[in-house]
Amino acid sequence: MIRVVSTAQVSNPMQNGAPLPSLAAELKQVCREHFRRVDRFIELAVLGSGRCAGGHMLDPDCGLYLGSGLGTMTSTILSQEQLLRDREVPTPFNFINTLGNSAGYYVAKNLRLTGQNLFISRRGASLPAALTAAWLDLELGVVRQALVGVVEEATLPLEEHRHRQGLPADTAVAEGSHWLLLEKGAGSGRSFRAQHLTDPADYAATLATAEHEGVGLLPVAPSFPFHDSWIGAWLTQQLQGEGTVLLTEGDESRGWDLFHFGA
Amino acid sequence: MAGVAIRGVGLSSALGLDAQSCTDALLTGGGKPELLSVEGFAEPVQAGYFRIPDGGELFDPERFARLLPAVVRTAVAGARLSAAETRALPVFVGSSCFSVGRSESDYAAALAAGSSSAYPMPHCGYDGLADLARRAIGSAGESFSYNTACTSSANALLGAMRALNFGRHRYALVIGAELANRTTLCGFSGLQLLAEHARPFEAERDGIVLGEAIGAVLLASEPGADEFCLLGGADNCDTHSITTTNPEGESVLAASREALRCTGVDAGDVCGIKAHGTASPSSDLAEAAGLRKLFAALPPLSVLKPHIGHTLGASGVVELVLYASALRRGLMPAWAGFGKPDPELGISPLTRPVPAPAGYYLLNHFGFGGNNAVLVLEKRA
Repeated sequence: MIRVVSTAQVSNPMQNGAPLPSLAAELKQVCREHFRRVDRFIELAVLGSGRCAGGHMLDPDCGLYLGSGLGTMTSTILSQEQLLRDREVPTPFNFINTLGNSAGYYVAKNLRLTGQNLFISRRGASLPAALTAAWLDLELGVVRQALVGVVEEATLPLEEHRHRQGLPADTAVAEGSHWLLLEKGAGSGRSFRAQHLTDPADYAATLATAEHEGVGLLPVAPSFPFHDSWIGAWLTQQLQGEGTVLLTEGDESRGWDLFHFGA
Repeated sequence: MAGVAIRGVGLSSALGLDAQSCTDALLTGGGKPELLSVEGFAEPVQAGYFRIPDGGELFDPERFARLLPAVVRTAVAGARLSAAETRALPVFVGSSCFSVGRSESDYAAALAAGSSSAYPMPHCGYDGLADLARRAIGSAGESFSYNTACTSSANALLGAMRALNFGRHRYALVIGAELANRTTLCGFSGLQLLAEHARPFEAERDGIVLGEAIGAVLLASEPGADEFCLLGGADNCDTHSITTTNPEGESVLAASREALRCTGVDAGDVCGIKAHGTASPSSDLAEAAGLRKLFAALPPLSVLKPHIGHTLGASGVVELVLYASALRRGLMPAWAGFGKPDPELGISPLTRPVPAPAGYYLLNHFGFGGNNAVLVLEKRA
């Protein structure tokens, strides 16, 4: 049996013209040390994962599965400005922070993890992609614990941030970091199971049953038109309630992943 | 973990535009880097570089669209899939750069045109290469894009293997892709890690020579008469430093031991090793220390980066394809140009190809962010 041991989130809705809120005080509460030369994406990842892990014993080889659709935008934007506008080579830490797994490195350093450390992306569905990888590893016995998260930055100015993603000018945007700690074995916490369906009739029947039973339900199709962390926000909020929750992702051509969270 | 078969391969690298020509070149002397200059900076950005010989302009953002489809089609053709199997084929991609080169080009063009609306990173996200591959073969399958620095496509291989082992799919396409871009070249230059010549494990090694390559493998969940089986592997995270591996080699050793444990292979049964061998002084030191601790007698060691450069996120798949293609011809590849060994390392790569028997082979991949991935390959009789 796989259980959801804990969940946590960071969610900051953004307003046009407003600065990004400082995370310094919140980071102090979850960090064993002060990390210098880190960017916003790393801060969000360290904060969300730190809150999720807080008070729980993590195995050193707990797997880390970080999903993101946009990834490390602030550092990559800064690198391109340095390179192409200012004609300077990127500063070393700025360049290193453009790597998708730099955030995972700091999460591992903060939580003293030495196991598998992955950055996985599938635009619009990076959390389901990361959950799938974690689920397979838990079922196959590759890991006993999995820390699964989705992180998205909101970069300033927001007008460019929306334009980059092809979003209408009035679209509400937020930055977010949403995490689940999954563990295999007996204990407390919601149950978690996943399945992969390829028969449309099976999928439709499962959805109908879930709707009939009043399950918290979010079916995500490819090209889901929301920020990847929106799914994380929805899921972590649902899991703070009491009912069963079902997240699905996929379509007829690739099949559907169903993530069931027991009451 | 059960093994998966390698049923098709595709490759384009500095050695050639297909796997056969790359292997021919590898086994007859290999390649040499050109001296590359990236203009326009106060400090010169100059280093050796291994370029795919496609005749294209180095930073042309259309090169992925021109080069990647042929590589993935060749890999998929090797498996003779039905139309339905091809349509359902999942795609696992590992890369360090993804679409950053296209963003650079479009942003540079907007700046040059004096556009007041020019902004950096006009293209974001990591899906572009998976989408390109799916269009090339007619797949509507799911995708997983991995960005874990130099272990990206090694981790994509492990992810695909686990999906196959679990029975989620019967086949999976795994791609490693890296093409030249300014961010990577100038970023490594800023770190002062670049050199003119790749000299892994030499006493005089002085840095990395980057390269570009695209590789693809078609994996099948049920090995039949296939010559090569990817048995499994392991990866871990070393938080010693974000840019260098623990010089004591402990995390390299841990990843190697776990890879052997989960595949049920004894270190004494390993016939050969494809080293990571970046020629970075600290990375080679860590790899050598880990290997010395793992093996009482070191098996023959091959290095590929003097021939194709360090292809970063692509190296997991690219070096698997190149190494396995040499083994298929009965030889472990060598580097004849190896000079003075480093006594501190205590290991030296092959300088002449040696016969490659049936058995087990270890493939090392390490990267920034502390990522270490080790794969175990079986060459079957």
